[in-house]
Amino acid sequence: MRVVVAEDDLLTRQGIVHLLQQAGIDVVAQAEDAEALLRHIRLARPDAVIVDIRMPPTHTDEGLAAARTIRSDHPDVGVLVLSKYIEPSYALRLLEDQPERVGYLLKERVFDAINLVDALRRLADGETVVDPTIVSRLLGRRRRIDPLADLTARERDVLGQLAEGLSNRAIASRLFVTERTVEAHVTQIFQKLGLDADPDSHRRVLAVLTYLRAN
Amino acid sequence: MLVVLAYAIAALVLPGSGPSTASVTTYGDASMAARTSDLAAGLGLLAAGLFAAAEPRRRLGVLTILAGVTWFGPDWEGWNHGLALAVSLGAVAPPIFLALVVDLALSLPTGRVNSRLGQAAAVATYTLAAVAAVGRALFRDPILDPHCWRNCIDNSFLVRSELGLTRTIDELWPGALASISVAVVLVAAVRMASASGPARRQLWPGLGAAALVGVAASAYASTLWHKPLEDPHSGLFSSLFVAFSLSVVALAAGIGWSAGRTRRTRTSVARLARELREAPQLGGLQAALAAALSDPTLEVLYWLPDAQRFVDAAGKQAQRPAPVPGNGRAVTPITRGGEMIAAVVHDANLLDVPDLGREIGSAARLAVDNERLQAEVLAQLEAVRTSRARIVEAADEERRRLERNLHDGAQQRLLALSYQLRLAHADAEADGEGELAALLSSSGAESQAALDELRQLAQGIYPAVLIEAGLEPALAGLADTAPLPVELAGVSSKRYPPTVETAVYLTVAEAIDDAAARDATFVHVDVRERDDRLVVEARDDGEQRGAPPIELSDRVGALGGSVQAETTTLRAEIPCA
Repeated sequence: MRVVVAEDDLLTRQGIVHLLQQAGIDVVAQAEDAEALLRHIRLARPDAVIVDIRMPPTHTDEGLAAARTIRSDHPDVGVLVLSKYIEPSYALRLLEDQPERVGYLLKERVFDAINLVDALRRLADGETVVDPTIVSRLLGRRRRIDPLADLTARERDVLGQLAEGLSNRAIASRLFVTERTVEAHVTQIFQKLGLDADPDSHRRVLAVLTYLRAN
Repeated sequence: MLVVLAYAIAALVLPGSGPSTASVTTYGDASMAARTSDLAAGLGLLAAGLFAAAEPRRRLGVLTILAGVTWFGPDWEGWNHGLALAVSLGAVAPPIFLALVVDLALSLPTGRVNSRLGQAAAVATYTLAAVAAVGRALFRDPILDPHCWRNCIDNSFLVRSELGLTRTIDELWPGALASISVAVVLVAAVRMASASGPARRQLWPGLGAAALVGVAASAYASTLWHKPLEDPHSGLFSSLFVAFSLSVVALAAGIGWSAGRTRRTRTSVARLARELREAPQLGGLQAALAAALSDPTLEVLYWLPDAQRFVDAAGKQAQRPAPVPGNGRAVTPITRGGEMIAAVVHDANLLDVPDLGREIGSAARLAVDNERLQAEVLAQLEAVRTSRARIVEAADEERRRLERNLHDGAQQRLLALSYQLRLAHADAEADGEGELAALLSSSGAESQAALDELRQLAQGIYPAVLIEAGLEPALAGLADTAPLPVELAGVSSKRYPPTVETAVYLTVAEAIDDAAARDATFVHVDVRERDDRLVVEARDDGEQRGAPPIELSDRVGALGGSVQAETTTLRAEIPCA
């Protein structure tokens, strides 16, 4: 797999690159800002990019803007945005245009090469990746009238994994059940929560996250 | 007054007093309608002029009287066997009459021409009229004019009798009349177009009539151009004359109306001054003046000698009032003992009360003093408020800087360290050094914990999401991590000034913390914009709320807002425009 890494802090960038290389991933280019990143994408044609949400010049959300450009200009390239913030709103902004092949992970998450490689694989498969910390924050939010109370424990597990962007197959293998069982759970969850999105579409992640955020 | 009356009587009687002949020497001789409208126009102008000249500013009245005098010019010219001087003067009057109409159109309703351009236009018109009149007076010999009908004998000013020159002047004459007539129409149109709404309502009777005069005069001039043989018996010329006269009647009426209005304004200012002297009331001087002068745009600004600046009645700093040429605003200083104490800024077209400043200045002494004192106090209050706002802003800026330093400095380094520890751990494992690997693994866990704590610390110092993405995600973040259910309503994704967003954020954070401390089971937070204010209302079901913390009241107060706590509701209003 060919990857471009965009991160303005040298030490962090080197750390990520080393982790990737140790995991046998081909880092074809490194960038310090969004502009260089876009140039490298045109030249190196990577399978995915890893991009820091905060980059020069303003150090706010350049990564999100770059992700949006990449999604529209190079839809085949997966975009994994790394952030230091547990901010559901940033994740939602990233996903709202086109949830396929985009991911939002906390920087700490990718200390583990396994997490990083897994996320890149999932992007390559066309999935969405949402950091579990963000999902658990949304799931753990206190609610006066909790619609999630109607869900069984297993359904809550499935909901969390849906929100992380996992496919039915991935959920099935994580929970050691069949894909059919997962499908049934998903349908049940959507019905209980009154979600009218298509339970099989790529947009279901967005529907679930938006629901969790709003209720 | 007497002179004008005498002239009016003379104009009525004398031109018709010559030996009665069959020949027609004025339009009035040709038809009754022409005679009536001719007299109505001239006498109307004289009457309106007398009325207007009774005002302290006489220029409008004098101009109007002069217009009335020159209007009768052609009648004097047609005075059969009359005084040669009167006949000769009458012959040169028409361009001067029109130039006076231009001046009137420029100077209505105040009698003054306010703009440089207008003054230039007036000078140009008078020059053109003078050249035309003088040329005709010095070089035109009526005896050599084959088409003469009003006067074929006299020109007291003639210096040389020359056929060619007389012919040339007769040919240029309609051109001069036409140019000045067009100038009248242009002036009226431009002034109407550039006047403010209230000014337009006051200007249209005079300017509309002036434009009519211009149109009628240009029609006459253009007819004269095409048919140099002017004939009072011809239906065309006769109707043109009647139309012209009627437009002048309208002009006289318009000027009279305008002068009447000025008089009413003056009376109401005098009444206001009396009222102010008798019962000065605090506030409302601006409103009272605006009403008295029918100028809703009028402003009263107070001069604060200590601070050396102008403020409005609310104490807000105002620009030094200075008339900007062409913007239609005028400044009337209100003085006392030679010192300016206030300034009235008004529509230059509307107000014309001479000595308004002095009149109000002495009469409204108490009122102006009171208002000025109040304005001064309010100005000081405003200064304190802005300085408080600056302090809060500076503190926020400092916190933002700290947060950024933590994020981009310490946190970034810890992250890099974590990656290196992770890599070292992987190497140690690969080399089979179990003890080292375990040590590196626990170091990694420690650095991870430090990162978590650092993140919480930075978030507490200043939530980065607030400045980067605004209230909506920041409040959602508060709700996500709150120890009790938080319902958010009304929050929009609109952005506000950072100090306003921070104040709202801290209000909500305080409401949540306090609700949790009082064992509430939920907080309902409503944030809405209403009349340029952000209204935050946090309601819960806990025990009775105490007073809002002073830091919060200070912060919201610094923005000109307020915080109140009632039973279990915390309510803040923060100006956000």
